[in-house]
Amino acid sequence: MSDAEVRSELPGTFYRSPAPGEPPFVEEGQAVKADTVIGIIELMKQFNDVTAGVAGVLRAFSVTDGDAVDADVTLALIATGGS
Amino acid sequence: MLEILKPGLETTVQELPGRIGHWEQGFPPSGPADPWSFRLANLLVGNDRDTAALEWQFVGPALRFHRDCTIALTGADMAVKLDDTPVPLWQTLRVRTGQVLTCGAARTGARGYIAIAGGVQTPAVLGSRATFHMAGIGGGSGGALKNGERLPLGEAASSRGLLQVAPAARPPIDLKDRTRHEEQAIAAMLGPNDSWLHSDAIEMFFSSEWTVQARSNRTGLRLTGPDFTFSERAYSKRPEHGRDPSNILDHGYPLGGISIAGQTAIILIHDAPSAGGFIIPFTVPRCDLWRLGQARPNEKLRFRQVTMNDASAARRRLDELCSHQSLVDLARWIA
Repeated sequence: MSDAEVRSELPGTFYRSPAPGEPPFVEEGQAVKADTVIGIIELMKQFNDVTAGVAGVLRAFSVTDGDAVDADVTLALIATGGS
Repeated sequence: MLEILKPGLETTVQELPGRIGHWEQGFPPSGPADPWSFRLANLLVGNDRDTAALEWQFVGPALRFHRDCTIALTGADMAVKLDDTPVPLWQTLRVRTGQVLTCGAARTGARGYIAIAGGVQTPAVLGSRATFHMAGIGGGSGGALKNGERLPLGEAASSRGLLQVAPAARPPIDLKDRTRHEEQAIAAMLGPNDSWLHSDAIEMFFSSEWTVQARSNRTGLRLTGPDFTFSERAYSKRPEHGRDPSNILDHGYPLGGISIAGQTAIILIHDAPSAGGFIIPFTVPRCDLWRLGQARPNEKLRFRQVTMNDASAARRRLDELCSHQSLVDLARWIA
């Protein structure tokens, strides 16, 4: 199985949920499609969707809710299948 | 004519000197947050240095040119392609009708500029082409550029040839390029309300590290850092000033003013409110506003105290740098 990395396009603050107190967009172990929103990055008081980019299973997040992230940082790993 | 294929994060038309004379009605000057890079971009394409051009923030746009153009990109470093060919920043580029410019994300710094010979000829609002996105004025449709928008371009003056900005004349946006002492810390003058801070707090401000919050934008840079202490002036005041030591009777906010709201320091930049009820103990002078425009989230800032004379001298030096003396003629053509 190969892992695809989801990398941040922007610097900012990474969140797992659409708003505080709401459930996360996805859980680790969940199946995702390329356009599945897996988190948001807050920058300049705007919220930018982070999509999976590939279909597969979201194996793990590399950052936690509320983390400061820079651009081009690994946010999550997606198992894309294949043996 | 210029077609916006992808707008990037928030890309706007900006112009210098910006919207002047309407701040009392709530319209800030706006204009480019890094005027140094902005002016050099215009000079590279043979425009007057204050001509309307595009400002992108963190992620640049994708553009299609509907006529042959001379363009230049300056500001934050990012990977950019003309069709499939990578092209450099800080240099005049020739573009043919139908070509597509695709910009990437800022690697260092925060904002960049795309100047086109002849300038962007969107309608002026209240005397300027500068965009104030929050009020929906400026640009082609009122505010930041949208997918599919088409912007009119002006007639280019006769070609000045292929030019490049000498490396020493570029703003040191990348931290590793800040080798000179005055480039390490951002200039800040005392005032207008420095007397409202305890003298310890003034010393603390200039000796501490301040972290730029991700929540910062063209309205202001929010900083995280140590707490402020206030002087007697901030406590012994008439009740109309307000209860908190940082409260003052509403006053005009200068561009570059560092406001203290409670305990939160916010540096007011190009789209900031005109006035408010918080003290401004320090002000970043015009010569270093570009540093604020290029600050990335989580960047650590330091400040150094300067006088009015220092600030004026630095501004004159910067003014000289934003001229043809900073440009080098290139001997070869870029196809």
